[in-house]
Amino acid sequence: MIRVNIQQQVLHFIVFLLIQIPFLYKLILFNSAFGFFYIGFILFLPYALNRSLTMVIAFLTGLIIDVFSNTPGIHASACILVAFMKDSWFNMMMGTSDDDVYLDWNELKIWGSIKYLLPLIFIHHTIIFAVENGGFNSFGFLFSKIIYSSLYSFIIVFGLSFLMAPKARRI
Amino acid sequence: MQNLLYFLYRFRTFGLFLLLEGICAWLIIAYNNQPNAAFLNSSNRLVAGINTLTSNTGDYFQLKKINDQLIAENLLLREQLANVSLGLVQIDSSARKYNLFKAKVINNTFQRSMNYLTLDVGSKDQVLPGMGVVGGEGIVGQVKSVSANFATVTSLLHRNLMVSSSVKRTHTLCTVQWDGVSPLEASLKYIPRHIPINVGDTIVSSGYNAVFPENIPIGTISEYQLEENDVFYEAKIKLAVDFSSLEYVYLIQNVHKTEQDSLETETQVIQ
Repeated sequence: MIRVNIQQQVLHFIVFLLIQIPFLYKLILFNSAFGFFYIGFILFLPYALNRSLTMVIAFLTGLIIDVFSNTPGIHASACILVAFMKDSWFNMMMGTSDDDVYLDWNELKIWGSIKYLLPLIFIHHTIIFAVENGGFNSFGFLFSKIIYSSLYSFIIVFGLSFLMAPKARRI
Repeated sequence: MQNLLYFLYRFRTFGLFLLLEGICAWLIIAYNNQPNAAFLNSSNRLVAGINTLTSNTGDYFQLKKINDQLIAENLLLREQLANVSLGLVQIDSSARKYNLFKAKVINNTFQRSMNYLTLDVGSKDQVLPGMGVVGGEGIVGQVKSVSANFATVTSLLHRNLMVSSSVKRTHTLCTVQWDGVSPLEASLKYIPRHIPINVGDTIVSSGYNAVFPENIPIGTISEYQLEENDVFYEAKIKLAVDFSSLEYVYLIQNVHKTEQDSLETETQVIQ
């Protein structure tokens, strides 16, 4: 039986998704680093939650962001892929497959965050920028956008998840 | 049997994955192919309401900049007015072809490869999809979709928007299209090689379509090159409008748009 902390998920929804919306295209550094930290909401959905349900949640999350950014389908498709890969990727990286994993900063720590969060954020951003750009033309500029944005989003997601980790278990 | 059931179970999840991705692909393609797509974008009432709230909060920090822009634009208009009253420019008010509406920009991006603006006017203010949008300094974009109170505008900084334009000095017809890199520059296409052009030449709208009147500034040529075998120049223009500080824009309604468009379509069908 998986443990789902509803309170924690609602907190994630508010912090990652609702706060992202007014700042969707306002947090831009050097004209190329976009901070899409709403992906944290999907990445921190409970481990081993029914995969179909995870994908549907990701689809709706992506659509909400799409409506605000005038890109119907682009964010949603990237979110679905991340939701689809999330658990298998976690198993591969962290080497655990029992259902008793409570996905938050305390589980991941620094190295785990880099291994689990960063590649998925990178895939998510690659899809968004490539589709929006209509392919891989002007590759250098596109690639720098993807790299800088991934690092930027990762730092924000990492920071927010650290701040939201339950205090009693924080080291 | 158990393996088969397991396989079907696995496939169910994967099938849902494919289905959802299919829906996304359909949304992406439908939105980019329909000129007047009116679903799931920022002219939606709830979305635009939230954007208005953020925009209003942000405005207080930019009041000085907005003031400066309006003063500069006022100055330009007063100059033109002075010319009119001196009789230097004739205005024939009986042949009024264009109506202008003012609008406030409530959401704007300029760093993406497809940029949109959201305006606080909608179908209640007689705004229709396809209308041209200009700022104080030049062309800004074209209305994509309209709800009751809000409108989404395809910015000039959008790969799919091509603007029919001309070199002001030589009246050569050309096309301006954004290349997706810098919000300050766009590419200039289809200037044939026998036309001499210079850095600094002004590019204006051509007036050959029903969206923009002629002679609205778009930008100035910043660099160009001509290879040995090229038929057309490869040129870049510096855009006249500063997209990072758009606050107020004007919508242009062409009174004869339907007539002009239907005539042009009819002619193409006959050909």
